[in-house]
Amino acid sequence: MATVREKGYYHWDGQLAERRFPWWPITRTGILLAFKKRGFRFLFAGAFLPGVVFLGIIYISENLESFQAMVRSSDRLINITPGSFKTFFTFPPVLFLMIAMMVFAGSGLVADDLKHNSLQIYFSRPLRKKDYLLGKMAVVFFFILAVTLVPGLLVYIFKLIFAGSFKFFLSYPWLVLSIVGFSAFLAVFFAFYTLLLSALSKNSRYVMILVFMIYLFSDVLYGILQSIFRTPYMALFSIRANIDQVGALIFAQKPVYHVPALWSCLLLGGICALSALVLSRKIRGVEVIR
Amino acid sequence: MTAVIETKNLSKWYGNVLGLSDVSLEIESGITGLLGPNGAGKSTFMKLVTGQMKPNIGRVSIDGQDVWNNFRLFSRIGFCPEQDAFYADVTGWEFLTGLLRLSGYSGADAADRASRTLKIVELSEDKDRKIRSYSRGMRQRVKFAQAVAHDPDIIILDEPLSGLDPLGKRRLIRLVKDFQSEGKTIIVSSHVLPEIEAMTSRIVMIHQGKILAQGDIHSIRDLIESYPHMISLKCGDPRAVAARFVSDTSILKMSFGPDGRSLVVETHKRDAFFNRLQAVVLETAIEVEEITSPDDNLQAVFDYLVVK
Repeated sequence: MATVREKGYYHWDGQLAERRFPWWPITRTGILLAFKKRGFRFLFAGAFLPGVVFLGIIYISENLESFQAMVRSSDRLINITPGSFKTFFTFPPVLFLMIAMMVFAGSGLVADDLKHNSLQIYFSRPLRKKDYLLGKMAVVFFFILAVTLVPGLLVYIFKLIFAGSFKFFLSYPWLVLSIVGFSAFLAVFFAFYTLLLSALSKNSRYVMILVFMIYLFSDVLYGILQSIFRTPYMALFSIRANIDQVGALIFAQKPVYHVPALWSCLLLGGICALSALVLSRKIRGVEVIR
Repeated sequence: MTAVIETKNLSKWYGNVLGLSDVSLEIESGITGLLGPNGAGKSTFMKLVTGQMKPNIGRVSIDGQDVWNNFRLFSRIGFCPEQDAFYADVTGWEFLTGLLRLSGYSGADAADRASRTLKIVELSEDKDRKIRSYSRGMRQRVKFAQAVAHDPDIIILDEPLSGLDPLGKRRLIRLVKDFQSEGKTIIVSSHVLPEIEAMTSRIVMIHQGKILAQGDIHSIRDLIESYPHMISLKCGDPRAVAARFVSDTSILKMSFGPDGRSLVVETHKRDAFFNRLQAVVLETAIEVEEITSPDDNLQAVFDYLVVK
């Protein structure tokens, strides 16, 4: 029935290496696709603006004599402490810019794969589910760390340069770790948050709305519940407030809301765990039953 | 020849829907056609073979290695899914190089391979166009390209010809045959019988999740004893030929075509009929224009097996 054939078809003589980072092509594609979206480049560039402003403030704080007239009544503002860094990272417009970036760069990460049935092509290659998820998360890491860790560290370094001494470093030797730690926390949380919502729908437009609205609505809900129940625990309903609480914990600051910061950690950790559960169920081979 | 792909008691179900039931197969190198109507279990079988789904019962192995959870094996497999499976916002070039990188090729090697593969599927000139602007045929070709670009030993093609125009189909069939001649193991599924017939005579018939038959289409036909063979004869005087066969007990039925020039014979003993026919033709000097077997094809065999 069958004929004997010679296997003489190996066109390529190179060594097919097992990739150390098999998730990288997925990340690369995710980043490239984000930059292809209309207006995203401006948004990404705009997300550095708070960092630039913070850098300006630090410059002013180190050159007070030159800016005496400008900062006459703002002594508190320009007294740079770890609290200033916490304020920078948890400043609502900064968080809003991150959410805006997730709306454009993150909403389609899983949704588009589900919509275009790409999972079957990915998983018929030497790629594990964890590589796929890591690749997608790394896209979020890239954008969040670019606007948190990079400006945070740069601002810290420039603070030392402008001061011309290591006094600030010696006063707060743990601050670098806080900057790295809080940036990492933001990256991980936003990655889980965005991927969770992205895995819930095949339509990335719905996901865009979800990413934006859940963040915004949680804050509105906090405001409503707070005005009704008059208890600080209502802050736990707000994603922004919870991030603020974790920021206060990591930067060793007094929490803004009179709720144990650990509760916020547990709550945001719960969202991450839920996301991991949903993703593990959603990301798998799918058979269409007709 | 030893089997490249082997399945043993393979079963898969989705809730209470049976996808595949107790499938044991040995697939050798060359083209194997997977044939069955929509919902027969072809795609399920392919996804199990490509390691995308875990069987509920049984196992799939390639060259003796279990497929499930053996992701290193996947660099040897090329899979072309039935549905479109790509971002419409990337170009054909970006799509292909991205997937080649996932298969483990460096940037330069991926570019080289993508370039060659796009040439093979005749998409070189359109490589920088977004897939969104591709025609249905071009999308099928780029999908096929991603399945073969990394030079896999095993190529799994799920309905690769659907949506292609006749010329596109011919091109793709030629390509698949070229890969066969290179010694690759190719599984092609289709519910369109002539498409499979154009590529291979080695088929696996699948229906309601079960294997109905496997092997050479003509051998399978010979094994179906409940249906006699039909032989159609076109000649100047079919009634004269029929008269010679009336006393032959192996002939079950004879009928004449409306044109008065054809005779259709039904018999269980096809070889004996042909031997006798030879003698009759020589004796009567009747000029025979055409001898065909209307039910010795995939459609007839399939119809017989699913008892239509």
